[in-house]
Amino acid sequence: MPLSTSSFEPANSDLVVERSASAEARIALRPDLRLTAADRPGIAQPVPERDVPDRRWGAIMLAALIMTLLMLGAWEWHWRAFGVEPSIANTDALWATQRRRIDHGEGSGAIVLIGSSRMLFDLQLPVWQKLSGKRPIQLAMEGTSPMFALEDLADDPNFRNGRLLVGVAPDLFFSGFAFRGGVLKYTRKQSPSQRVGQWLSMHFVEPFLAFDDPDYALPTVLERQDWWPARPGMRAAKPVRKLMVVVDEDRASHIWDKLEKDPAYAALAQSIWAQHFTLLRDMPAQALQKTTDEQIRRASIAVAKLRRRNVQVIFVRTPSAGGYLAFEDELFPRAKTWDVLLAKTGAPGVHFQDHPELERFWLPEWSHLAVRDAVRFTDALYQIIQRDVDPRTRRIAKR
Amino acid sequence: MVFNSLTFIAFFAIVLAVHSLPLAWKIRKGNLLVASYIFYSAWNPPFVVLLWISTVVDWYAAQGLVKAQRPVARRAWMLLSVIANLGMLGYFKYGGFLLANFTALLASVGVTYHAPAPDIVLPVGISFYTFATMSYTLDVYLRRALPARNFLDYALFVTFFPHLVAGPIMRPTELVPQFEQPRRANRQQLFFGLALMTIGMFNKVVLADGFLAHAAEVVYDTDKIPGALDAWMGTLAFSGQIFCDFAGYSTIAIGVAMCLGFAMPDNFRFPYAAIGFSDFWRRWHITLSSWLRDYLYIPLGGNRHGRRRTYAALMGTMLLGGLWHGASWTFVVWGGLHGIYLSVERWLRKRFAGFRPNVWALLAFGLITYALVNITWVFFRAKSFSRAWTVLCGMFGGNAKTVPLLTTESLVVVAAIITGLVATHWLMRNRTLESVLARAPAAVLSCTWAIMAFAIIATQGNGNAFIYFQF
Repeated sequence: MPLSTSSFEPANSDLVVERSASAEARIALRPDLRLTAADRPGIAQPVPERDVPDRRWGAIMLAALIMTLLMLGAWEWHWRAFGVEPSIANTDALWATQRRRIDHGEGSGAIVLIGSSRMLFDLQLPVWQKLSGKRPIQLAMEGTSPMFALEDLADDPNFRNGRLLVGVAPDLFFSGFAFRGGVLKYTRKQSPSQRVGQWLSMHFVEPFLAFDDPDYALPTVLERQDWWPARPGMRAAKPVRKLMVVVDEDRASHIWDKLEKDPAYAALAQSIWAQHFTLLRDMPAQALQKTTDEQIRRASIAVAKLRRRNVQVIFVRTPSAGGYLAFEDELFPRAKTWDVLLAKTGAPGVHFQDHPELERFWLPEWSHLAVRDAVRFTDALYQIIQRDVDPRTRRIAKR
Repeated sequence: MVFNSLTFIAFFAIVLAVHSLPLAWKIRKGNLLVASYIFYSAWNPPFVVLLWISTVVDWYAAQGLVKAQRPVARRAWMLLSVIANLGMLGYFKYGGFLLANFTALLASVGVTYHAPAPDIVLPVGISFYTFATMSYTLDVYLRRALPARNFLDYALFVTFFPHLVAGPIMRPTELVPQFEQPRRANRQQLFFGLALMTIGMFNKVVLADGFLAHAAEVVYDTDKIPGALDAWMGTLAFSGQIFCDFAGYSTIAIGVAMCLGFAMPDNFRFPYAAIGFSDFWRRWHITLSSWLRDYLYIPLGGNRHGRRRTYAALMGTMLLGGLWHGASWTFVVWGGLHGIYLSVERWLRKRFAGFRPNVWALLAFGLITYALVNITWVFFRAKSFSRAWTVLCGMFGGNAKTVPLLTTESLVVVAAIITGLVATHWLMRNRTLESVLARAPAAVLSCTWAIMAFAIIATQGNGNAFIYFQF
């Protein structure tokens, strides 16, 4: 590419300093190299030269495109054969779209759901909508204590005269663990570009590609192969696998049916929970109790704020079973956690063990309800809340 | 918007289509200008005002410089540009840092001062476009160039989206002339530009974000004490990450510009095969190092005023270069270490002027250079001096009660990628990418392109911002 004739071309070369250095620029380079600004000190830099290798780039690109499509086709087929179906990605950006509904006029009189994965998978939005005529705003986030959302909503005057269902998974709620706690910061700082990207992805990528899921990203797949020997002194820590499917743009979700159909996959999920239990069991009991007390204190403050804006807060202890329930009873006994939470906040609560109609469900990996049972659970929970929560006193009727 | 996002793909497709329309050159340039403002606004729309301020101030400063007769007046116009640009940079980038240091200084003499939290948001790319616009005024002031005749060409030089937020830092003499004649990429340029974009994306999405970032995070973003293996592997991972991230960005930028028919300069030349530190800085972030050389080191006296002054200019340039990268003393130390390396190398070259190393000695010097560069990366990556010290101690086996941090998989992957990266740099040391592509069999090019494209899509990525956006 030749230098252009320009009004903005090097002017008075007499003023160029470091002459000896600029002379280097005139040193002949090997044919495989080209000069850069590093070779031309103290002068106005000329228009860069960029050569295009003399190849048939059109044909090369076409062949590359065909091979890429073939490889992607094989990759997609592989994951579909594993049981994956395309679904909407549960990204921070998707959460942000739902959070903004409260800011944009839907906050008054809204039913909002917060919690962790159990609230996200187990409470079925279409069922609730059918029963109440109102579709809840789903703000639960997997692996994450709902405390960040509870405090955020408590500080948001746009949310008023509504109802807030707070899912309580004891190991997350009372430990304050927040696997995706950065979602609120993301929402507040989300750029226009990220919002457009979310829309494009949700409409043109996610509904069509099964492999477009963080669980099947290339580095994750490589990391999870069995061939890597454990490093001495390191505790094996398998990350949680894909458990859910988002079925609608408003984050309506349910458990992935592979957990119901594939016992080996359910067993793998259980083994990962068991490893998680070990980690928490290693925490000193005193530290755990201190953290629990702190979470309850924060919840009390938030509930009081919400009450002042006429928002009814209802805590919901969603079902768990098997090894998970045993672990929760051991580390987070009801008397020291759930009962204290209700007493300190003064908010009503629905505990699945208090209601026989909430206890007879199948949880394939101990923590989340099977798809059909999630429908029945939502129905039953709705009836209980309608029947037992006294609208005057905001207290659950004593059972 | 970041290059590695769906938004950019859609944006670029539209820009490319509009740029290809049979419209007057002035209208097509106007389209590019509007597109560049949209590109920038996609982060935070109000900050586009800063871009306008920087553009307008330097336009009028350069006009004033041409009209001014007296040296005092010329100097005043030049200072207006420097103060306006560095003032913006100082407020947005260094405001919090200066306040924190001022508070600490008062505390050290017993005065308690609680400054209100400044809460200043850093406008993306401000370090890059302020340097680009300053080079315009400074080139006119130094009589290296005449001002642009056309405001549109000049504004497009400042704003042209491929280089706007993370370089390469363009000089007006490199870009303004390209806007004077109609440009549109031919088919060869378009396809090769897309190939360069794929290479850049592969570096960023697959190598930097997909495989290297995590290992660096595990070692640096924790309180645990690393042993020698973890400390070295975490640091090597970061050395690969920052190269693949930033060189990847530059390669994408060059490819994007080429697809539109414009040429942008090389910003990296296989720096991990550098032999010595002056060689390293002729290969790493070339447009910044040459900017600092032309507008800071040479005006500070360069090598024209004796040995002491040369060393002082060298250290001053590198310390400020470090501070340019971030408002933290760790970056200053990073720059200071490079200043010391360059000074020692300069002294050694004079002391052993007759020494002619053989090929093995050159290889050894190259590996020593890479190892010492890695020492500097510790200060670049660590968020505090205490963490930097912990990792450094780990690297030299000085830590007790260490715990293994990286998994076997991480260790193997980092070792494989870094070995491949450094070997590639050595193989390409005296070549350009284009010279190699010109000779490679077409089937190899197609397969490599396809594998990279597949890996980019399969890695998925999450639209992580490029590291240099924060600088």
